[in-house]
Amino acid sequence: MKKELTRSEFLRRMALLSGGVGLGISGIPGQAYATLPAGLSASVSTGNVLVIIQLAGGNDGLNTVIPAENDTYFAKRPDIAIKKVDALALKNSMYLHPSMTGMKSLYDQGNVSIIQNVGYANPNRSHFRATDIWNTGSDSNVVLEEGWAARYLAEKYPGYPISMPLHPMAVQLGSVESLLFQSDIGRFGTVFEDPNLFYQLVSGTLADDEIPPATLAGDELAFLKQISSASIQYSTVIRDSALKGANSSTYPATNLAKQLGIVAKLISGGLETPVYLCTIGGFDTHANQLNQHANLWKQISDAVAAFQKDLTTQKIGDRVTMMTFSEFGRRVNQNGTTGTDHGTAAPMFVIGNTVRGGLIGDNPNLTNLDTNGDLKANFDYRQVYTTILSDHLGLSTTSTSQIFQKTFDRLPIFLNSPLIAEAGVKVTLLDPAPNPASGHVRLQFAAFEAMRVELALFDMQGQKLGTIFAGDVLSGTYTYPADISTFPAGTYLVSLAASTGSRITKRLIIIN
Amino acid sequence: MPVWNATNVGHLLARTLFGYSKNDLSIALGYASYNYLLDLTILKDVPTPAAPNTWVSTVPAASQTTSGETGTWYREFNYWWFNLMHKEGLNMREKMVLFFHNHFSNERDKVVYPQNMYAQNVLFRKYAFGNFKQLVKEISIDPSMLIYLDGNNSRGAAPNENYARELMELFTMGIGNYTENDIKQAAKVLSGWQVSGLTASFVPARWYTETGVTVFGKTAKFDVNALIDHIFDQKATAEFICRKLYKEFVYYKPNEAFITQMAAVFRANNFEMKPLLKFLFTSEEFFTAVYIGSKIKNPTELMVGTSKLLELPSPDYINMYDMSKLLQMQLFQPPNVAGWPGQRDWISSTTYSYRGGFTDSLITGKRYNGVAVTGKLVPVTYAQTFMNSEKAVEFVDDVSTLFLAFPITAKKKSFLLDTLLGGTIVKNWSTYLPGANVNLQQFFKAVMRLPEFQLC
Repeated sequence: MKKELTRSEFLRRMALLSGGVGLGISGIPGQAYATLPAGLSASVSTGNVLVIIQLAGGNDGLNTVIPAENDTYFAKRPDIAIKKVDALALKNSMYLHPSMTGMKSLYDQGNVSIIQNVGYANPNRSHFRATDIWNTGSDSNVVLEEGWAARYLAEKYPGYPISMPLHPMAVQLGSVESLLFQSDIGRFGTVFEDPNLFYQLVSGTLADDEIPPATLAGDELAFLKQISSASIQYSTVIRDSALKGANSSTYPATNLAKQLGIVAKLISGGLETPVYLCTIGGFDTHANQLNQHANLWKQISDAVAAFQKDLTTQKIGDRVTMMTFSEFGRRVNQNGTTGTDHGTAAPMFVIGNTVRGGLIGDNPNLTNLDTNGDLKANFDYRQVYTTILSDHLGLSTTSTSQIFQKTFDRLPIFLNSPLIAEAGVKVTLLDPAPNPASGHVRLQFAAFEAMRVELALFDMQGQKLGTIFAGDVLSGTYTYPADISTFPAGTYLVSLAASTGSRITKRLIIIN
Repeated sequence: MPVWNATNVGHLLARTLFGYSKNDLSIALGYASYNYLLDLTILKDVPTPAAPNTWVSTVPAASQTTSGETGTWYREFNYWWFNLMHKEGLNMREKMVLFFHNHFSNERDKVVYPQNMYAQNVLFRKYAFGNFKQLVKEISIDPSMLIYLDGNNSRGAAPNENYARELMELFTMGIGNYTENDIKQAAKVLSGWQVSGLTASFVPARWYTETGVTVFGKTAKFDVNALIDHIFDQKATAEFICRKLYKEFVYYKPNEAFITQMAAVFRANNFEMKPLLKFLFTSEEFFTAVYIGSKIKNPTELMVGTSKLLELPSPDYINMYDMSKLLQMQLFQPPNVAGWPGQRDWISSTTYSYRGGFTDSLITGKRYNGVAVTGKLVPVTYAQTFMNSEKAVEFVDDVSTLFLAFPITAKKKSFLLDTLLGGTIVKNWSTYLPGANVNLQQFFKAVMRLPEFQLC
């Protein structure tokens, strides 16, 4: 990752980016570029998009994905536990918060992968240090000053900051740039709240091509010039994409929904930015948390549902994945002010058309806690990042290992993510998704060695209704969308027979 | 003692005040020594200002929020504080009040009542140059703080850890100098308080019942004051606050060797602010040339400072209040308990653009969105207060030197000169030309649109 140029050399050169608007421009305020300045690299081809939703303050994971059949949960949270009858059942004794109806319906369609109990070793309970850890992708005891997304973007745009791509490399809806997009060689994010307003604001910005001196103050000046150049360069393409793009669904009147609506519009309008960051705050629920937490998750759930509907209607949903994260979960025990103090692990949500859907991992163990009374994480958060970088953004495992300076096992989050082989298991058939299904269903299996398989549909009497696939497969994960629109409503069986001798059967309910 | 000259004195004023005018600079130079300048004006104790209004002593009530009074009062409170900053003269007190507001960050969204935040603001003013340890003791039971970090209603049997954690992490010691168990134990000590209206009271029945708790290895029946004393006995504490002062007033990347010196001075003076500030602002370190112009102005410095610089007699505080939100420094609403991180975090594509919109508005009398701004600059009158106003080249020199802590190149100066002249030639320049007003408007906008203007 280490670039050959020193940081100050980079800063010196970066300032050159503002070439194009000369000092002699007549009339102030100056104009944003009408044509593109020299030195731009060719556009990077349209690819997949990651939309990160940051839950600032530390989301209470146990009241998000709720172990509503666990007596310990109720004993430790007498005033703030959410009852089974109120919660939305998922499976294996896991329940969603009652306000997450939008998320639940996406989950039922197979568009939500929930990874349970995510964290890292030696968790930090400071908001600020923990946020930095999640943003930089470091171990607990390592301080990195570059965001993990910035390191990904440095890989994707090797010419930056000497040359800049035509479209913003990262967009953050807001005002203060996150560490996620910052790096030693410059900032990758363009930050704004509204595309049109941003364009208007930038129109008075001056730029020049002078190289600041190599002094402390010169470094700060170079930084200011980099921001102003990037603003001038990107305000036009952002405004144009917003004008060209559209929203096909109605979004709720919340701040997060507004942010996601803008993201959808920009993607729809052809902006080629691969990473977006949206933020919702208020999760630091030390006191009287019930209403506040419910309201926050209603906002997220409704906004995400509207966004997903919008993208799907516009047929751009397959390119886009959302991921939630928060700096930590909260203490298992409630505190004395009907809230929860800072804790450790919590679930993450990955949402989109190409996720496998379902739950990864089980309810956290509420009795085997760390010395502080907090959950012990089951998955490392960088397993989630690695999986997204690899299976959604197309990075090689070498690259993801470089980004995190370590190799993390991927999790079965996406349809194309490898399934995890359990000891002695050579082949797995997943639950059909969605289930119940109508019209179409997605069937998926994984073979952990070369074998011959037959995937077929049976009725409850054991009559084979049709073969979906039969043949030799290599080790890997296989997905088959099946058209079931001709089948009458009822219960069916999906069966996978393998030359290894195993036969696996899953129940499928077809509705009309 | 550092060299006494206009550059160094300008640097001192830029960092200890919310900016300065050319008149401020010449008064400061009249003191002729750093000792006099600091003792007689910058660090001088000045009278407590009158309250913004009578609402400050009305008992907080939910009805004030439904009636809209809460919002109105916060606006008044903001305008009042902007005015104190604008009228600060050569005194650093308001800068220290803002420093403490940022350090002991409380958000109005959670505290709700301006009465409580006003009382806290008064506390900061009382200790602006006073004893920091005593301030920490008082802030620990300040109603606004009790509300903000959930000390309110925290009980010893099941304490809320919020304040205990931030007290150690953000207010006194810094991360890495305490354990999770220290937090849990301190949370018990800090329990038992209850806020009612404008006051906080201690309810012994809500306190911890153990015979003692162990914090940093010492076991005792600590109360709040004993706990704070114990925290200040830890080596990290003096260094932590000195590091924060250094980052705010000198350079955002700390010089640890110098911070050790500051901490020694602080301890030797029993955590009194004034001797520490005097030490800092007479040190060779502070006046090291490379630090001059290396600070990115915070939005309050930018807004109040530009108004002072342009000698606006009555700047538009409504404009400042509304813009403070867009520039991400709404007073009484820092982003979180860590306050505003400062320096490069002030600047994003959006806030950089809004900064230009703000400085333009003081010249054009219009905000970026067309809303009128009162008290705008009268360019010709202002220009004529410069001795060289009729000599274009010298005038551009003088304005650049005063406005920009970062020296600009000959090429940029020639761009500014062209802007000022607007087609005429140097020889013909005069502020009495028919078009001079427009030219001066363009010129002042251009100077303040230079990225150098964001530095001080």
